[in-house]
Amino acid sequence: MNKFYHDNGPHIKSPYNTSKMMKHLIIALFPIIIFSVYKNGILPYSRGYGTLLSAFRPLIMILLGMLTSLISETLFIYFVLKIKDKEKLITHLKYSYAIFPGLFLALTIPINTPYSILIVGAMVATIIGKMLFGGFGFNIFNPALVGNLFIISAYYSNIAIQGGYLNKLELDTITQATPLTNLQNLNYIDTYQNIVTPFGNLWNFLTGMIPGTIGETSAILCLLGLIYLLFTKVITWHIPIIYLATVFILTSFIGYYHDLGIWYPLFHLLSGGLIFGAIFMATDPVTSPTTPIGQAIYALGLGFLTVIFRFLTSYPEGVLTAILTMNMFVFIIDKLGVKVRFNLKKLSIPLAILILIIGTTTYYVATNINKKVTDQNFNVIDVTEIDNQVIYTVTHKAYHGLIKAKIEIDDNTGKITTIDILEQNEYVWNQIEEHNYIDKLIQQQHNLDDLDTISGATYTANYLKQMVIKTLKEYSQNR
Amino acid sequence: MVGIKLLLNKKMSIKNKIPSFDKPNYVYIPLVNHTNLACECCVKKGDKVYKGSVIGRRNDHFQLPIHASVSGTVVGIEERPYLNGALVKCVVIENDFKEKVVDNFPPKKDITDYTAREFVNILRDCGIVGMGGSGFPTYVKYDTKMPINTILVNGVECEPYITADYVLMRDHAEEILECIDAILEITGATKGIIAIKVHQPEIKKEFKKYMGTYPNIELIEVADLYPSGWEKSLIKQVLNIDYDKLPIEKGVVVNNVSTIYAIYEALKYHKPVMEKIITITGDKIEKPQNVVVKIGTQVKDLIDYIGGIKPGNKIKLIAGGPMMGVAILTDDLVVSNNLNCLLIMENQNEHPYIECMRCGKCVNICPAKLSPVLIKNNVNNVEYLKYLQPEKCIECGLCSYICPSKVDVREYVKKAKLKRGEKNE
Repeated sequence: MNKFYHDNGPHIKSPYNTSKMMKHLIIALFPIIIFSVYKNGILPYSRGYGTLLSAFRPLIMILLGMLTSLISETLFIYFVLKIKDKEKLITHLKYSYAIFPGLFLALTIPINTPYSILIVGAMVATIIGKMLFGGFGFNIFNPALVGNLFIISAYYSNIAIQGGYLNKLELDTITQATPLTNLQNLNYIDTYQNIVTPFGNLWNFLTGMIPGTIGETSAILCLLGLIYLLFTKVITWHIPIIYLATVFILTSFIGYYHDLGIWYPLFHLLSGGLIFGAIFMATDPVTSPTTPIGQAIYALGLGFLTVIFRFLTSYPEGVLTAILTMNMFVFIIDKLGVKVRFNLKKLSIPLAILILIIGTTTYYVATNINKKVTDQNFNVIDVTEIDNQVIYTVTHKAYHGLIKAKIEIDDNTGKITTIDILEQNEYVWNQIEEHNYIDKLIQQQHNLDDLDTISGATYTANYLKQMVIKTLKEYSQNR
Repeated sequence: MVGIKLLLNKKMSIKNKIPSFDKPNYVYIPLVNHTNLACECCVKKGDKVYKGSVIGRRNDHFQLPIHASVSGTVVGIEERPYLNGALVKCVVIENDFKEKVVDNFPPKKDITDYTAREFVNILRDCGIVGMGGSGFPTYVKYDTKMPINTILVNGVECEPYITADYVLMRDHAEEILECIDAILEITGATKGIIAIKVHQPEIKKEFKKYMGTYPNIELIEVADLYPSGWEKSLIKQVLNIDYDKLPIEKGVVVNNVSTIYAIYEALKYHKPVMEKIITITGDKIEKPQNVVVKIGTQVKDLIDYIGGIKPGNKIKLIAGGPMMGVAILTDDLVVSNNLNCLLIMENQNEHPYIECMRCGKCVNICPAKLSPVLIKNNVNNVEYLKYLQPEKCIECGLCSYICPSKVDVREYVKKAKLKRGEKNE
């Protein structure tokens, strides 16, 4: 009688495995990383901005994030889980894919994040986002986004001082922060010239030559990654496609309501790291539903929340918060997905309710958007009328504190006659005075878009310009 | 359509000639049926038996005799591993090599010359069961008040490595067609369908040779996917019909080709199931091939007969195909009437432990539309299992096959299935 080896079947297994999936994921990210190094490092350096070291800053940040995650996971396993055998430790690390939280974190933060903050963020991502839930496979929230949320909410002012989302070249050529911050400043509904033109055209959005986080700006490379990931069966189409389609449809509706063209939903689709988030972050298998129906509902919710967060909260990107919010509902969504798996008809009522909620909320957003959201940068303190003169006392956010000004408008011609600056704390005010910028503003008041800013006082000049534009808008709306 | 293309490895065991191993010294006839209920034994030590003598009988609500496959003397009852790995009682018969046949076999007759009642009786008396692996008594399928309109013959054999049905169809196409025609006439069904896999020109040619005589029988090719031979998926593909529990609801009876051949022998010669074709294959067998084997033969004798096993480490003996088969610990396993393949291969399941990351590949692939990963995570949550319905699992093994983390998902589903079963009782 011969003995044979025993284990549970099936006795053949698919050659595909988790490590291969992770390799494919890195390959899909590779063009994005290279592009980021080019756009945020080499391009500014070649135009004479920054040092040689700063040319490789994006790469250094990505490597630093990965390394921090790896080290913090190793320390956690060694000291908390008390796995001290060297071989076991290495196997554990190899199959828990420790580098990913840091990698994705580095790709979703502003280029000017100080290294120290990145390290703290990567530690938070790995320890709190992943290890405290039980490690790979058990975390409820996307670890990288936990780290990201931590950095942005705790240290954003530190990052903003360094220049925020703009790389060295953009700091000098672009006046607005990111496209979506600009959109928020414009009260969400405005012309193509105001929303898109400050960043070039939509082609720049597609290629990624716009301000944004390290890895998320190039839509076309993300889509290339999507095709690769679908082809290698790392992810299924449900989440990214339904997510993007939902955002597109809802913003189309809002745009259509305000007579804006197809560029408006495209702008929403191509900005704020939406495509990157939909393809790489929302599809994280650990934190997304498993049933196809569940994935569809999850993606629908993501699209809806992204639009809501963009229009109704002060987080202009919305993608990150939407994903973290939907992460909480994965368990419930899976349960629903299971219940309707054998009988799709059961889905009709929950789906109808969901669509009703999405529809009414979007309608509300579309109709109330300009009334609801006030410009936090611009405030009218006082309006007085003396002898056909309307005198506005206004404040506007500036580079350092507020600028307070008295602006007189002739009621007959509708033109600004004088601008008195009452208060300002700008460092570079002498530049404004040297260039007689206030006078230029009055002279060119009906063609302010063409008025050049002053190099060396870009921000201040621009804020002054915005103040004048908004005052004129306020005046024309009330007369 | 749900399914996946697997690496088939079928060519190695397809040979032109099928040898038969009809000289085992002892046979061990298992006293079990497909659900593992022990059966009544009708013989005692020292009894003389002939080929076809009834030596056991099922004693539950199905009446099914168990026959001797050799002539000789009963030497006792021993426990031997069955194809599911469990030890079962077997009647041990010492072969006298006289091949004497029990004398109550009636003379040969025209195989269409039966009434529906006689047909059911003869299926029962000959102990015909589903030979494709299920082991379900065939007479029960025909013992119905519902009208039968279609006989679907399953020749798909979608598991890799197995070629027993392939060679049977190649060598006995004429008898199979004759038998289907007879069943159509006896049961009053209007249509017979033989389902085979695509890209099998040899089989197609064999059937086409005789098809002209039988206008009611159709040959349909199905996709080369696993598990397209699963009853429910096959009916969906071939007839585009969904059913709830049993295909007879829609007037369909599904039989495996090897079962059809057994029915043919029963109708023609009143011969019970005493031997069957078994594929012995795998990379660790010296000469992979199909062999005609007597029921009750020890696998050890069989392997020695065809040339033995290659040396190696961690060799597995699998009763059945690589997907649904069970790894058996020892080679004193006995051949039962629902065994169709012996796979001897080196263990290929050496994988590091990786945590499940809920990627949902098992959910997407499951042909029964289950959510294996959620069943695995909620195996102890009886409330949730009610919705997950693990009892629908057909144990095809695709969830474990596809899992990128190589988790034994099927084992969890089986466990959940048992839990649900307990609760229902």
